[in-house]
Amino acid sequence: MIIDWDLYPQEIVPNLKRHRVMKSIRHQPRIFTDTSDFTSITYGDIIHIDGRYFIIVGHTREGRFGIDSQIKPWVPRVNDLMSGERFIIKLVFHETYELTIGQLKVTCFRSPEKEARVLELVNDNPYFMHGRSVLDAADNLVRILDIVDGRRLDTHIAKLGASHEEYMTEHLKEMLVRFLTSVAGIRLLHDNGLKHGDIRRDHIFVNREDTTFRWIDFDYDFYIPERPYAMDLFGLGNVLLFILGKQNFRVGDVVKHPDMGEKVMKTITTNDLSLISQDRIFNLKKLFPYIPDSLNNILLHFSVGTQVFYNSVAEFQDELQQAVDTLP
Amino acid sequence: MAVREKLLIAVDETETSMHALRYVAQVASGMQEMSICLLHIYPEPPPDYYLKGGTLSAYKEKQDAKAERVFSQAMTILAEAGVSKERLSTDNRFAEGKTISEELLAVRSEGDFGTVVVGKRGVSRTEEFLFGSISNALAQHSVNFTTWIVGSDDY
Repeated sequence: MIIDWDLYPQEIVPNLKRHRVMKSIRHQPRIFTDTSDFTSITYGDIIHIDGRYFIIVGHTREGRFGIDSQIKPWVPRVNDLMSGERFIIKLVFHETYELTIGQLKVTCFRSPEKEARVLELVNDNPYFMHGRSVLDAADNLVRILDIVDGRRLDTHIAKLGASHEEYMTEHLKEMLVRFLTSVAGIRLLHDNGLKHGDIRRDHIFVNREDTTFRWIDFDYDFYIPERPYAMDLFGLGNVLLFILGKQNFRVGDVVKHPDMGEKVMKTITTNDLSLISQDRIFNLKKLFPYIPDSLNNILLHFSVGTQVFYNSVAEFQDELQQAVDTLP
Repeated sequence: MAVREKLLIAVDETETSMHALRYVAQVASGMQEMSICLLHIYPEPPPDYYLKGGTLSAYKEKQDAKAERVFSQAMTILAEAGVSKERLSTDNRFAEGKTISEELLAVRSEGDFGTVVVGKRGVSRTEEFLFGSISNALAQHSVNFTTWIVGSDDY
């Protein structure tokens, strides 16, 4: 393919010519200053915002658990054609959908404005992904995100310890101490009237260099006027469940587990299941009797059988801190 | 200091709310010294409301009209029970940057209401966790005032 290099500013032409994308591209790269129609911006195209030129080298993917991951066309991976730095760019996508939680539905939204406010708030906070927000030529609020060099929390935990008991003994306390920094981060958001919006075990990345836990993806928002932070609290409970169990356990997992089987399964009652979705077991003490009561009791606040809820992340954080302090 | 005879009733268009109102109508009709304020509170619009072209003034107009309907219905119930109009007042509030229960508690405090009345929905624990319970919030904060939480049985 013949490229007309005169279409590009001279300052980016040398790097553009050398860029690996140019070896596989099948069209003349286009320069976009208006990103409104993000579906038309593809591999090899260039986004010109903030006085910089970002060439698209791929797109991020995301899947709900158990569902194949999908390409997110509004979230391209890019290289800065001047500096060579790698970023993820989030373009404006005003998606609205209903999240089904058990028998309940919560209306969820993508909110670029909310994510921009979070990015500004946590600019110097090491427990969050960083980035900046800029307007494109059509006033779309585009976020330019630093890439967190690390891996998902669940992938990280899965590789720790040969058995659950060994993981508990050797690694759990460190995981919980680090998780407490994540919890403090969410408290900071709430104290500033902001939500994370999509707290999941794959939205904490373990930084490769210093193993700090870092929150990613803040663009979801939801509408629950009376309990605006309940979904974030529920998410923290789910992440804690995964950290304590080293995986999530559904009743079927218990039956198949060589150390548990039918005998343990028969002890599980509805009260032991997740308050919201009733699909996973929150009373881990029944699966792992050696789990300290102080930690299991925190989980039970998120179970069907609970009589008491956490009303704030501060309450959750305080109890978790106390429980962690008593661990050997 | 909260005045016991100043009664604040949270009202909306639900049958639960009307049940609470009928209860108050029966109990309070004979208490001539009691004044009653009907309070309607509405939340902020959902985040996508503005994206769909909605304006705050249009939203408030719609909520104001809804409040007027609720007040009218409530006053009829109270009047039929013998509560005179002179003892009644209304207040319609926008819970801006607050939850409904926070706004309710703020109104109570501003007006020195000694008694607050709310209806109680029959909600599951899951709904209570996710969507909250105004009656539970009130019960937690009833330190220097009294809360009547009216269940949804017929009175």
